[in-house]
Amino acid sequence: MASLNLEENIEIDTELIKKAYSLAVKAHSKSSEKAYNVEGSRRSSDPIIFSFSGCWSENGWYDGEPFGVTEINLPLLFPSLRSIGVNENALVNKAFLQRFVDKILGNSNFDREVQKAVKENKQILFTGHSSGGSIANLATIWFLEKYLRSDSPDNYKISPSSPLCVTFGCPLTGNHIFSHTLRRENWARYFIHFVMRYDIVPRILLAPISSIKLEFQKVFEFLNAKSVNLAHASIDTFDASNFYMKVMKNASSVVSHAACNLMGNTNLLLETVSNFIPLSPYKPFGTYVFCTGNGKLVILRNPDAVLQLLFYSSQLCTEEECADIAQRSLQQHFGYENELQDSFQMLNEVYLEPLEQIPLSSDSTSSDIATINSALNDLGLSTRARLCLCAARELEKRKIGNKESIDLKKPDIERAMKFLEEDYQLNGRHRGLGCYDAFKLHETPKDFEANVKRLELAGIWDEIIEMLKRYELPDTFEGLIDWVLLGTRYRRLVEPLDIANYYRHLKNEDTKAYMIRGRPKRYRFTQRWREHADRNKIPAESSGESCFWAEVEELRIKISSQGFEPIKKEVLQLEDQVLDWINNNKLDRDVLLEKSTFKKWWEDLPREHKLTSCIKDLMVVVGRSP
Amino acid sequence: METETSSFETSEMLSTFLASTPLLSESWRLCNISNTSTPRGFLTEQIGDVGYIAFSGIQTVGNSEPSCRNLVPLMESDGNALFIPLHRLNEGEEPVMVHAGLLQLFLSMHSSTSFQNQMLALMEKSKPIVITGHSLGGTVATLCTLWLLSYFQSVSSPLQVLCITFGSPMLGNESLSKAVLRERWGGNFCNVVSKHDIMPRMLFAPEASFTQLHFLLQYWHLSMNCPRFGMLAQLHDEDKAELFRLVLCHLEVIAQAGEEVAKSLFWPLGSYLFCSEEGAICVDNAVSVIKMMHLLLMTGSPYSCVEDHLKYGDYVEKVSLQYLNQGSFMQADIPESSYESGVAISLQSLGIYSQEKVAKPVKDCLKTARRMGLRPNLNAAKLAVSLAKINPYRAQIEWYKASCDESDDHMGYYDCFKLRDNSKKGSKVNLNRHKLAAFWNNVIKMLDNNELPYDFNRRAKWVNTSQFYKLLVEPLDIAEYYRTGMHRVKGHYLKHGRERRYEIFDRWWRERKVSVDENNKRSKLASLTQDSCFWARVEEAREWLDNIRSERDPRKLAFLWENIDAFEKYARKLVDNMEVSRDVLLKNSSYNLWVEEWSKLKSQPKKFSPQFPDYVNGEVIP
Repeated sequence: MASLNLEENIEIDTELIKKAYSLAVKAHSKSSEKAYNVEGSRRSSDPIIFSFSGCWSENGWYDGEPFGVTEINLPLLFPSLRSIGVNENALVNKAFLQRFVDKILGNSNFDREVQKAVKENKQILFTGHSSGGSIANLATIWFLEKYLRSDSPDNYKISPSSPLCVTFGCPLTGNHIFSHTLRRENWARYFIHFVMRYDIVPRILLAPISSIKLEFQKVFEFLNAKSVNLAHASIDTFDASNFYMKVMKNASSVVSHAACNLMGNTNLLLETVSNFIPLSPYKPFGTYVFCTGNGKLVILRNPDAVLQLLFYSSQLCTEEECADIAQRSLQQHFGYENELQDSFQMLNEVYLEPLEQIPLSSDSTSSDIATINSALNDLGLSTRARLCLCAARELEKRKIGNKESIDLKKPDIERAMKFLEEDYQLNGRHRGLGCYDAFKLHETPKDFEANVKRLELAGIWDEIIEMLKRYELPDTFEGLIDWVLLGTRYRRLVEPLDIANYYRHLKNEDTKAYMIRGRPKRYRFTQRWREHADRNKIPAESSGESCFWAEVEELRIKISSQGFEPIKKEVLQLEDQVLDWINNNKLDRDVLLEKSTFKKWWEDLPREHKLTSCIKDLMVVVGRSP
Repeated sequence: METETSSFETSEMLSTFLASTPLLSESWRLCNISNTSTPRGFLTEQIGDVGYIAFSGIQTVGNSEPSCRNLVPLMESDGNALFIPLHRLNEGEEPVMVHAGLLQLFLSMHSSTSFQNQMLALMEKSKPIVITGHSLGGTVATLCTLWLLSYFQSVSSPLQVLCITFGSPMLGNESLSKAVLRERWGGNFCNVVSKHDIMPRMLFAPEASFTQLHFLLQYWHLSMNCPRFGMLAQLHDEDKAELFRLVLCHLEVIAQAGEEVAKSLFWPLGSYLFCSEEGAICVDNAVSVIKMMHLLLMTGSPYSCVEDHLKYGDYVEKVSLQYLNQGSFMQADIPESSYESGVAISLQSLGIYSQEKVAKPVKDCLKTARRMGLRPNLNAAKLAVSLAKINPYRAQIEWYKASCDESDDHMGYYDCFKLRDNSKKGSKVNLNRHKLAAFWNNVIKMLDNNELPYDFNRRAKWVNTSQFYKLLVEPLDIAEYYRTGMHRVKGHYLKHGRERRYEIFDRWWRERKVSVDENNKRSKLASLTQDSCFWARVEEAREWLDNIRSERDPRKLAFLWENIDAFEKYARKLVDNMEVSRDVLLKNSSYNLWVEEWSKLKSQPKKFSPQFPDYVNGEVIP
């Protein structure tokens, strides 16, 4: 039994891929009848295949907005599809998402059939041709979100080959955050996209609808006719050429803009011009398998490199080819069956990654890179194209380098935190003060020293945050457990000092409450890291224990200006939280010391409130102990 | 440092990006129409979201010839204050100068109602605006863009402007180019220059003769208006050869002088897109632009340097279609390093073969340009690291303030620092003050030189940190100024001593995004006095108070009274709003001493202000 080796321990039976293709095409050709199909046998070793249909209409692709994207704001279905620290949701094609939510999730059978397959622990495959592929992508992500949770009752046993999503000539589906997310969660490896060298469909969404409106209808009518009946369809060469040229022109803008950024162009003109023209936000993800047309399969995963390849592999050799290639760009969308048949016989696959050995010249002959070179030639990659691949590689390397340099700072972080955790805390205790109050009073040289440590740490963390904002760290960074833990420790230890500093300098009166205007990003980011890492155990926005002091300060100010009654609800809420935090060791007990701002504030609350307060025992016990 | 610069040559990639957008071809199309149908004028059009205004290349430059003898300072000719941001000057910098004739051309256009109306209509409809022009029309477009950018800045409009010129002469001097960079407008200008076109290079030769230029312009104008007519005004071959030689010769001198001395009166502004039959590259470093102009002209001829001015249509069409083709390589051997092959592609796009004599200097030129464009983002990240390193110095000053404000002499940190002895504490703080100043001056310098991201001064982190620094440390700068008696040498701090960095930080703070509901009343004194120049004002008020005792001239006396009164009101308002820090109100602070002295003075009205009782009691006694 032949299998396609995709490296990273992923191997797929070629027969399975062929079967997936025929099912995907079948689903797509009968798209009017059913939104998806299931196929599987009783034998437990046999996989179960869900195939999805797409559609051929303008608003099935572009639903409003030049590129038809919308922000994913479905925290229950897709909690992971966002950039964590930056706190930005991914963008996804609106029509595809709508179709998935309405026609697939809206169908209760689907959920049931998936559950059944999960219970039987079968290999599960999602597949789709054309826009059906995008639906398959979304279905797979939905599956991963649902069944990879540790708390999921039927805790599906995943393996490198299950679940899998295999698409053919699938349009782009989401933006850079979408792609970033899948790499962060280590889910990108479940997606395999087959793309023919000239197939226009995976490239269409690089163009805004306004630029291709004239030809769009005709091209889609043709593609639709063809997906129903292969033989009986034709399209005017003029329309085909115009369509091809317009899509390519827009694709050229997207990739040359991306390449300028990858290559570190500093000209301000780049920024200005991108405000004048709409640039497609879409970005590839997963493993791409490019079919060269002569039996070779070129495999790569780097999303930046794939984006470049989508454009450059479709370029012309000579202008005269234009009409011919334009026709082919439409015909090839239906050519996967033959192409895969040929390719699988030879199993002539070429891995471009780690992109270390990209020969820049098309006639490089040195033997170790001859295979790669001939594959690049088969995709028609010019020196310019090859340079873009190198630039994508350099970016990846730079990200890894950044991560390494940050890792080297861990000892510095530990050292500064150790001072605060031990020396400083101890020093405060001698004075009967917790860190917060000691720092707020700022009376001794130790306080000054602590302030220097606070600033040192802020410098390091701010640098990390800056890199994250520009996506200059590896996509996996915000999911790395050691950094999540370190961030949480840092936040709980040092944020109180920042708050003390803020209220000591009355910055709340210069700007506003700490939580509204003053809270540094280094704490917002690290809090979100933890909330995401534990998203199954704790609700979002629930681990703000490090902001405890800011809440106390604000309540103090509010009560002194408005009196107790209007604020009562907030006080009760805070007390509940304190109880929970103290019991779970998220908050240090020094908040209960006699001289603590919190203690003093609480003591001043109305007597009748204190008598029934949920923390009255805490306050009394600690208060009496020496 | 080398590893941190990009290992790619991107000037060609940027031009590919530009050429794949509709901006170049649409701009040229309109320039062409404007050349034939609206000579001496302009036309506007709306394409999708984008508004276009194209100035005709056929313009008459007043009575004066378009030679460089008449550069004028922009500030003095700008009667209607159209270019306010360009009036700002750095110390020791030459004022911004522009070509008088070209400025006049724009000003007269600007004053016409039809221009005003059409501009207004365009601004209402379009989100971004492209301003374009061929030849002399391009310089008008440049001025029009400078005006719009100034206007948008004054009304904080988010509208975007892009200026695209084709074969336009230079407009102004190096100060203009620097001012544009300083305002972060460098990315709003794209000048398309063909390989041999003599027009953009013309003003580098100061003594090109009037007759030659006249004939040249006439020939071009006729050709633009209707290609057949051009024949009527053909130039003599000798004249062309003379002109070619002259311009080449001057360019060479300037190009070789390089950065050290800007020998030219004129200086490139914004980015330059150099195009040839084979493609295009885009360069933004001014020195490299001049070098490139020189090197490319070397490959031309007296004939091509004149004809190339009329060929922008062909060039634009060619580069706009380039995206479709893979493009093959002329030379067989492609360098193995990614940087060198990028350079090879750039050279090919300029139509320069590697065997040619200019190939090597062109490569060097690209290398310089790349080096100058050090990655601003990286710099910003590095700055963040050095900020973290100098922050402890600031913390020490905070510490100093706190201890002074609490000490028994009740003077506050301003007066403590001003009257400090040679104690270790004081000199340490002074050292820290210097270190911080050096850091922030360096930030400003990098910003001026375009070495930081264009939105650097809008990033909250930097706006807030610089503001905090200013509030804390500027009082010490003022103290030092008066301590060392600089006010007697240079004049008072506010007018003559204030460092530029503080003015810049004021501007950042003013221009930051502020939510509407930010008018909380203070319940306690601010931790830092919110007007960092407060103490400088106190010093001036002290002087007035001194003067008032000795002044006898009633008019001058009245003036002093008025000043003091104004200061008192201002200071009282700050205090009432609790916008001063506690050090201001300490018993022995300069301010408190001043207040005491002033009330003593007021209580003896007969002696000092018999003529001005109204200032004393707030009512007029006849």
